[in-house]
Amino acid sequence: MTLMPNILGVKNMNGKIEVEHLSKTFKKGNVQAVKDVSFTVDEGEFFAFLGPNGAGKSTTVQILTTLLNATGGKATVAGHDVIREPEKVRKYIGVALQETGVDPDLTGREMIELQASIFGFDKSSAQARANELLNIVQLEEAAERRIGNYSGGMRRRLDLALTLVNEPKILFLDEPTTGLDPSNRMAIWKELQRLNEELGTTIFLTTQYLEEADSLAHRISIINDGEIVATGTPKELKAQIGNDLITFTFPSKDIQSQAATIMESYMGEKEVIEQNGKLLVYVDDGTKQMLELVRLLDQEQVEVETVNLSSPTLDDIFLKITAKEVGGVGHGE
Amino acid sequence: MGNSFWKDTWLITNRNIKTTLRNPFSVIPNLIISAFFLLVYEGGLSGISQLPTFEGANYLAFILPVSIVSAAIGGAGGAGQSIVKDIENGFFSRLLLTPASRLAIVLGPIIAGMLQLFVQTLLIIGIGFLLGLEVETGFGGILFVLLIAIGWGLAFAGYSVGVALRTKNAQASQAGTFIFFPLIFLSTTFVPYELIDAQWLKVAATINPTTYIFESMRTVLIDGWIFWDMMQGVIAIVIVCAITITFAAVSAKNAVARG
Repeated sequence: MTLMPNILGVKNMNGKIEVEHLSKTFKKGNVQAVKDVSFTVDEGEFFAFLGPNGAGKSTTVQILTTLLNATGGKATVAGHDVIREPEKVRKYIGVALQETGVDPDLTGREMIELQASIFGFDKSSAQARANELLNIVQLEEAAERRIGNYSGGMRRRLDLALTLVNEPKILFLDEPTTGLDPSNRMAIWKELQRLNEELGTTIFLTTQYLEEADSLAHRISIINDGEIVATGTPKELKAQIGNDLITFTFPSKDIQSQAATIMESYMGEKEVIEQNGKLLVYVDDGTKQMLELVRLLDQEQVEVETVNLSSPTLDDIFLKITAKEVGGVGHGE
Repeated sequence: MGNSFWKDTWLITNRNIKTTLRNPFSVIPNLIISAFFLLVYEGGLSGISQLPTFEGANYLAFILPVSIVSAAIGGAGGAGQSIVKDIENGFFSRLLLTPASRLAIVLGPIIAGMLQLFVQTLLIIGIGFLLGLEVETGFGGILFVLLIAIGWGLAFAGYSVGVALRTKNAQASQAGTFIFFPLIFLSTTFVPYELIDAQWLKVAATINPTTYIFESMRTVLIDGWIFWDMMQGVIAIVIVCAITITFAAVSAKNAVARG
């Protein structure tokens, strides 16, 4: 059933996001938050922006959703330029910012009906849409209560319902699960997957959680310090750094640095990563290389505490790529 | 899709009225303070109207404008407070992400604040009548007093909305409302200008536009239809409104613009 007024017949509208050489410098403090970022998200694609705090994720979302102007480059969302035609863009997108945007003095139902009325629904279709969405986000029982009494998870779910009011072609979600408990997180994941698969909604999601990007997104861009440092499917990104990950621990720090020197001379300096008191080595043929390295260390009489072979997670990729980019040192914001 | 400007304004104003009614304690304290002024000053100070400078005026009619201006300023301040609240809980951004008219987003709370002011002023005038208020110019005079209250409230709404949109912060906006005290009390609040003793207070009262608001209200309440005495309040309103509404408009433009 579709309750929307007839607006989706408009031409030049698609579920695509096209970003070319986008940049944003904030006058205050002359901070370059986004540096020459380019990417394309196809209609129906689930795309994730993965990066640490302050990487430029939210700034990018705010530009693409018409809340901020870019200082350079171009971005087209749903077929319309975000700088020149913000009114048109706003009609076709749904946006959940990091902070939920709800009025604590309204009830959940009133909030959805207000949002629907602002999008041009008449009274009865706004009511019908509210019923539908309250059901989807499972807030029917809380519908007549004031939002001020909702838990964090309920507010998030309501906020998600609000972003869906206008049946958006593209959904922007800025860290939608940050601060949620696992059951609320799973509920949101499931709903996003459903929207993407059943309705073909394009989804642009930002996250700090690697497993979130890994399990939801078709394609991921890793953003760090305002720049995209890698893009690919989760599989491609994992392959980019080797199929296998070998993790060594040693009885002491001294022994570990001794081992690092030996392993580096064998593998090459860049291939051995020290992290959290462990040595990590990414390789293509894990079993063979692991035996090789253990034998080498044994020859040099270096005592190994544990050794472990696994498939790299996005976590590992992320750390490896960002460590390479910033030389392993924190880079200010 | 999308509404006319009027529909957007109506939707947003309506929601502001609803949330104001649901938070009676955002309204009641100011109303009580204003009514308190009327009762206490009338009860405690009415004897001084025996002084010849008062020319036999009823002190209740003399002090009523203080109470009305206090209620008007409080009601108008509600507009700014509601905008700050919306900014802080993200609702303002949520509205900016919709196709709603940008002007309607800012105008809604202002209209709701003006309605609140109107109701509060009516209540204060009602209390005045209960206390035995007599108005020299009758019903027409009451309408004029209401008009001045609304005009002065609008000037203060412009100020409070401007501060709200600029600071985006409840504490800062709250601090901004402290201007309430000098506005009300550094003036001909309790006695006519001639009876003000301290020279500095005379200077302050001359500068303070509220003085002209008080005086024009007192003109119709006590003296009668004296055109130029009434006009001083109107002129003060026009000048101050021009300043504060420009301030609000510029702040609003920055707040809805994409930095």
